[in-house]
Amino acid sequence: MSISAPRYVQGPVVRVSRSSRTFAIFEREFRRRATLGPLFIIALTWFIVIIWVVTTVYFATLTGGSIRSSFEAPYESAIWGLLLLIVTAAVGAGSLADDLGSRAITLYLSRPIRLADYLVGKASAVGVWLLIASVGPECVAAGVSAALGFTSTSTALVVVGAAFAVGLVMAVFFTGIALALSSVTRRSLYAGVAIFGTVLSVTAAVSVVSGITGNADLLYASLASNTQGIAEAAFGLPAPYATDPVWSAGLMVATGVVLAFLAWLRLSRIEVVGE
Amino acid sequence: MTGVVDAEAVTKRYGEVLGLNGFTATFAEGITGLVGPNGAGKSTLFRLLAGQLRADAGRLTLLGQPAWGQGEFRRRVGYCPESLALFDWMTGNDFVTTLLRLDGFSRAEAAERSARAIAEVDLTADSDRRLRVYSKGMRQRVKIAQCIAHDPELILLDEPLNGVDPVGRAALSALMRQLSAAGRHLIVSSHVLYEVERLTDRIVMIANGQAIAQGDLHRIRDLIDSHPHVIDLESPDPRALGRALGAWDHVVSLEYPEPGRLRVLTRAPDTFYAALPELVLTEGFVVRSVRSADDNLDAVFRYLSEGRR
Repeated sequence: MSISAPRYVQGPVVRVSRSSRTFAIFEREFRRRATLGPLFIIALTWFIVIIWVVTTVYFATLTGGSIRSSFEAPYESAIWGLLLLIVTAAVGAGSLADDLGSRAITLYLSRPIRLADYLVGKASAVGVWLLIASVGPECVAAGVSAALGFTSTSTALVVVGAAFAVGLVMAVFFTGIALALSSVTRRSLYAGVAIFGTVLSVTAAVSVVSGITGNADLLYASLASNTQGIAEAAFGLPAPYATDPVWSAGLMVATGVVLAFLAWLRLSRIEVVGE
Repeated sequence: MTGVVDAEAVTKRYGEVLGLNGFTATFAEGITGLVGPNGAGKSTLFRLLAGQLRADAGRLTLLGQPAWGQGEFRRRVGYCPESLALFDWMTGNDFVTTLLRLDGFSRAEAAERSARAIAEVDLTADSDRRLRVYSKGMRQRVKIAQCIAHDPELILLDEPLNGVDPVGRAALSALMRQLSAAGRHLIVSSHVLYEVERLTDRIVMIANGQAIAQGDLHRIRDLIDSHPHVIDLESPDPRALGRALGAWDHVVSLEYPEPGRLRVLTRAPDTFYAALPELVLTEGFVVRSVRSADDNLDAVFRYLSEGRR
């Protein structure tokens, strides 16, 4: 083994901005999650939703049913929510937990970046994957339906816009959950289980309790009900909605932001103690 | 205090456990060894210097800046943590490039510097392999590459030679000396004391979260001359030799750790070394070797830390 003498010829170095450094974190984290597991889940989500929507739209054209309602159909089902939950766990559970568990976070934070930059980079990567999973299949389904003549181009464009609106809200919410739960453990498996456990148990409990008590306001604590409310409004279905869409969207975005803030708070207090 | 790093009564607690306990020391320019056993507080000090922990009390500055926080001055500091955990999914080249981009280098500049730093630690051939397949020694080297790639003024190396094979140790030690010669300041921690001794004469010794000695190793060594000194002798008849040595006033104790060996504890090593040849010649003892077990930093550390208990 030989090691050469370092040559220090310090020329003028142009440093890039903070946002570029944050983008470097995003880029690495995004690529990191592009592994077989998450890609399979996302591909499965796309496959199921595209087939589902295109088939439903096709039958709507035959029976004279509502096209927009057909595009909105997946949001009424628990299956898509469940798939997005799996995607969240696959791309988000390890986002912070892996770095904490390996203590590799020390390498990030020893550089001239702020904790907020680190979190924004991580959150962006998780969020973009979630957008791909949540918005992508509806957009493709709209395109395919338009191409096959099942719907007009203008309706397809409305569907794309609606899918972006709902997908953005869902991505913010799921990203917040992923960051918060990933920041409280050093094992991504625990974070993944916690993501599932928290969302499913809250949703199930709310459905049961609101059913027993008849209190519809409780549905604002349910991910499924909020998503339905927002989707019904975004896709232009007639009222009444499962929940007030504005309140539901506000609640989901606020929850995502608060959870992300909690993750920042947690990390700012954590001390990466070694072996 | 005007060192590269100044610590004044720095205290850091982990709940009930004291990581640093009023640590006061000045780290001068060039290479300084931070020496102490596991759990002494070396890594705590490094994490404080890296801005990852906040001191509960005291004042800690590096390059004239408060250590706490992630300010832009971090560009002037290179940190090689003790942990061997890295971003295992990255290649060596990706790893160094990514961290350089966090330092604010453009993609092209980061790639160029990464290649140079990786070459400096002799990892070019393995730079496109994933870190998960790197050996312990290769991990140490790639950590050092990320630490020096942005050309920092101050380099913090926490146990950098841990896990590196002997040839690699020699090469990395040479690299550290070259960095120092190029005007960089290095703080190198180790519990393998002879490594630090070979690297520099300037040390800060730490035990139980406190600096128990600092300065030139030889001057520190002088401080402990009043402490008993261990000398190992090899002789075919150690018991007869021991009986003769036991008559000397300054010999505190005699041990026979294994056949053919005698361990002497003396309060006056200089007197012992001066008188031993005469004893051997006059009494006709056969002594095959004389070795001071205290000639390394380990002994200095042991004496000083025991003296503070």
